[in-house]
Amino acid sequence: MSETDHSDTPEGGDPIVAGEYVLGVLDASERSAIAQRIEHEPAFANEVASWEERLGGLADEVKPVTPPDAAWSRIEAAIAAPAPSPAFALGSLWQNLWQNLFFWRSLAIGTAALASALIVAVAYLGTVAAPDRAPLLATLGQQGGQPRFVAAIGSGGSLLIVPASLLTANQKSMELWLIPTGTQARPRSLGLIAPSQPVRITVPPNLVPFVTPDASLAVSLEEPGGSRTGAPSNDIIAVGKLTNL
Amino acid sequence: MDAIAANRSQLAAALARVAAGDRAALRIVYQDTSAKLFGVCLRILNDRSEAEDVLQDVYVTVWRKAGSFDPARASPITWLVAIARNRAIDRLRSSAASRRSEPIETAEDVRDNAPAALDLVVAAEQRERLKTCLGELEERHSAVIRSAFLDGVTYEQLAQRMDVPLGTMKSWIRRGLMKLRTCLER
Repeated sequence: MSETDHSDTPEGGDPIVAGEYVLGVLDASERSAIAQRIEHEPAFANEVASWEERLGGLADEVKPVTPPDAAWSRIEAAIAAPAPSPAFALGSLWQNLWQNLFFWRSLAIGTAALASALIVAVAYLGTVAAPDRAPLLATLGQQGGQPRFVAAIGSGGSLLIVPASLLTANQKSMELWLIPTGTQARPRSLGLIAPSQPVRITVPPNLVPFVTPDASLAVSLEEPGGSRTGAPSNDIIAVGKLTNL
Repeated sequence: MDAIAANRSQLAAALARVAAGDRAALRIVYQDTSAKLFGVCLRILNDRSEAEDVLQDVYVTVWRKAGSFDPARASPITWLVAIARNRAIDRLRSSAASRRSEPIETAEDVRDNAPAALDLVVAAEQRERLKTCLGELEERHSAVIRSAFLDGVTYEQLAQRMDVPLGTMKSWIRRGLMKLRTCLER
């Protein structure tokens, strides 16, 4: 390597890019590009984790400073509320489809129906949750609207979806989709659900690995019998992110 | 098991409970690590109220992401420090404070007394290795690597501080990182 280096892709490749990121010398746009790669490239994420271990010891020389007492109260309050919905990252194929969708932000204005749906879902989790894996819960809603479903998934992929408001589907079928994290995340059908009663579904074993805290569930309206294309229609009536209970 | 290893396994166990939604376990993690992480944020942001905001963000992230902590791959405290540094650096880049360019590397930032076990991120052996490997680098290379890590400054700011061209700074750091990696893997 020469004494000066103007290139953006350094000699040493990914390992050095990961090192630069962990060291913290990159600017905002470079950092956000790298954050995307960490999300979607496991090998690169490993590289970053290795650098965090290698360089972590440098933090030994930072003097600990006790934060003010109020800091914990703020954290406690923040985790008492449902997790805020991060931007929904999907590849270009699905981008347009999902652009106008909204993630339910707060249960604060929840209705009695929502409360009872939650109780059913949580009670269900109590019956299926195994200690090795935290159960996941999602509230499915639509932009500006009331939550429409609450879904709970226990370990092993047993899923219960409970309507939280009165819905009519006319001649349409309602289909439940699992949207894994990542840009290649193609929605996978979990089957048809009922607008007026709780439905129990077993997530197929090949899809269980996609049931993660950052994945989402969505409900679409389809022709009777469900989607024939393997993908949801444009008529998404509810969507929600899975979070750890 | 020495004190650091014991702390490490306690913290890893607490994180596993956090992943299962145990708020009391998050409190334990906070009690054990918040002073260190606040110090890390404060050092980077040089602003108490910004650092407090980021600290909150860090533990909310820990609450939500504890499930992704892999004890086979990372030590709990390095994982937490990495979250804190990333949040603080992202905040620094997005705020006016990023125009800060004065060096804050001062003698008083370096502790002269022996820190408590949890104030130390890595075990003695690992710390010695890092020290040895940094010592094998050219002095200016190891100095800018330390300073970049602690202060979260960009290539550009480092180049200004050291009064060298940007390309030279990139070359110093990249060269330093490559050597460091080779040395640490030896």
